[in-house]
Amino acid sequence: MGTWREQTPAVWETVVTPCDCCGQVVAKRLWIVEVDGGERRFCSPECEDLYREYVLPRKAADR
Amino acid sequence: MIDPVTLAVVNNALVNICREMGITMIRTAFSPIFNEGLDFSCVLFDRRGNMIGQAEFCPAQIAASLFIVRWTLEELGVDSFEPGDVVLHNDPYRGGAHIPEHAVIRPVFHEDELFGFVANVGHLAEIGGKAVGSFAADATEVFQEGLRIPPVKIVKRDVNDMDLWRLIMANHRTPRNTWGDINAQIGSLRVAERRVIELLDRFGRDFIDKAAEELMDYSERWMRAEIEAIPDGAYAFTERMEDDGVVDEPVTFHVTVTVKGDELIVDWTGTDPQVRGPINATYGVTAGATYNAVFHLTDHHIPKNSGAYRPIRIIAPPGSAVNVVYPGPSVGGNTETHPKLADMVIAALAPALPDRVAAAEGGTACNFLFGGIHPKTGDYYANYHLEGGGWGAKSYDDGNDAIIVKNGNCRNTPVEIFETRFPLRVVEYSLIEGSGGPGRMRGGLGTRRILRVQEGAEVTCNALFDRTKEGFGAFGLEGGGTGGRGAILVKRKGEAEFRTFSEVFGTTSSSKFTNIVLTGGDEVLIHSPGGGGYGDPRERERERVARDVFERFVTPEQARAVYGWQGA
Repeated sequence: MGTWREQTPAVWETVVTPCDCCGQVVAKRLWIVEVDGGERRFCSPECEDLYREYVLPRKAADR
Repeated sequence: MIDPVTLAVVNNALVNICREMGITMIRTAFSPIFNEGLDFSCVLFDRRGNMIGQAEFCPAQIAASLFIVRWTLEELGVDSFEPGDVVLHNDPYRGGAHIPEHAVIRPVFHEDELFGFVANVGHLAEIGGKAVGSFAADATEVFQEGLRIPPVKIVKRDVNDMDLWRLIMANHRTPRNTWGDINAQIGSLRVAERRVIELLDRFGRDFIDKAAEELMDYSERWMRAEIEAIPDGAYAFTERMEDDGVVDEPVTFHVTVTVKGDELIVDWTGTDPQVRGPINATYGVTAGATYNAVFHLTDHHIPKNSGAYRPIRIIAPPGSAVNVVYPGPSVGGNTETHPKLADMVIAALAPALPDRVAAAEGGTACNFLFGGIHPKTGDYYANYHLEGGGWGAKSYDDGNDAIIVKNGNCRNTPVEIFETRFPLRVVEYSLIEGSGGPGRMRGGLGTRRILRVQEGAEVTCNALFDRTKEGFGAFGLEGGGTGGRGAILVKRKGEAEFRTFSEVFGTTSSSKFTNIVLTGGDEVLIHSPGGGGYGDPRERERERVARDVFERFVTPEQARAVYGWQGA
């Protein structure tokens, strides 16, 4: 189960964070999920689904 | 449910508001890139960040405009907008296609309540940085590409923030044009705001809200039906670019398009890591290329709003050449990489949609930028010129000749503009015989242009081309041949032959270079590439081959050797 985390960058932090699945910019709120013991940052719960249903099986097949 | 006729009326009204924004831009902008080149896009959004209207100007910005507005609203917060505010933004890492493209966004309030936003994304011809025209073909980081502006309010409650304006002006080489062009953009927003309010007065705010929702759902259903008609499967394609402008090595792009029911997953994993030079694509470019390709393959009548985009999922790994991360350069990604990415999605789906796809197009915008002090006026000038090339052949027709890349819809700089506003003379502008890739259907032809620097003038120029090397021409499909290569060459005054800029000036890349100074009598030759062919050339109708020879689209030698022509 994920949680939303709001970003409050300092004025010198001029770079935005990309989604770990699709690569889109996450302008304000990150969807944080633990996957395989590590934290993943997504733009939305839908992207978490895409990560689990498409990216992980593809990575497993590539291995 | 709103009846279809009324829905069509509302859709046309929304699109026409965007078109009127564009006409305002054309008539009021200072720079040829807007009033001749049409390098801008005009869009309407609802207050939740959904795009509800878009005019058909520059496809390069179809995704950039979508993401720039949505992410700006997220970052600043919808509640931060007041009537008369205008946000300016060109950050390539926040949805932009590349740094020259500046978005202006204005809220539309109706009876003191926020309805939505109007926005205009336009390519400013000069924004500072290391190269005149802000197209540094050898840039290795964003700071060399021009002034980067995150979302900031340049107008607050209809009052200019002059401190911000002065800061921007001090960093651009042609500040008067910047003033005129950004104000043309802002003026187009005011026109659109007026028209949206008229529409809300006429139909009522709740009705337009509902109509916009229904239009988005309609577009989504239509797009899903189009995708569902494609056979399920995973379709892959790989393409290369000849170099990145800094390192003289090819760059490889890879895509896998998965069709699953009524959804598409377009996965760019397998593309090379981010490169040193400026051909990296931003997320906005890669998404734009993907949508552009899908729109080419599906019914073009689908209303272009957020609904049409919903069934398409895109994966662009950060830190790769299809999703540049800070501080990587990206100015050429929008012009050189976008057309190749779009052609890759189209080619990947060729086995599934043989009658809808096209072979590759020239795939380079042939960016030629120049500037200097005009000898007659003493004023600094700068111009961004694009050259059209050949488009790819389809199963049912030849490719178009001399058309700007499919992410452009832009126009070139007219001869009259070259000769009246800049110290250049157009010596030749013609189609290149034999440059279309051979095929049952022939690729479109590239063009040849020669520019001569007027006596007494000094012109500093940059170029960002591709497809100039052997093995990198526009690919054909189903046995069609490769299109003719492009070129950018120079002949110094008094010399007899054109040579590459690498040979004359020692540039690392012969097709991508920055800040070369030419003087009176020097000439530049631009060849745009031809498009790829479709099908076996020996199956081309004999009448078409004979006409090609007669029209000098194909040389007699090529006709005999490649097409098996027996004519005289």
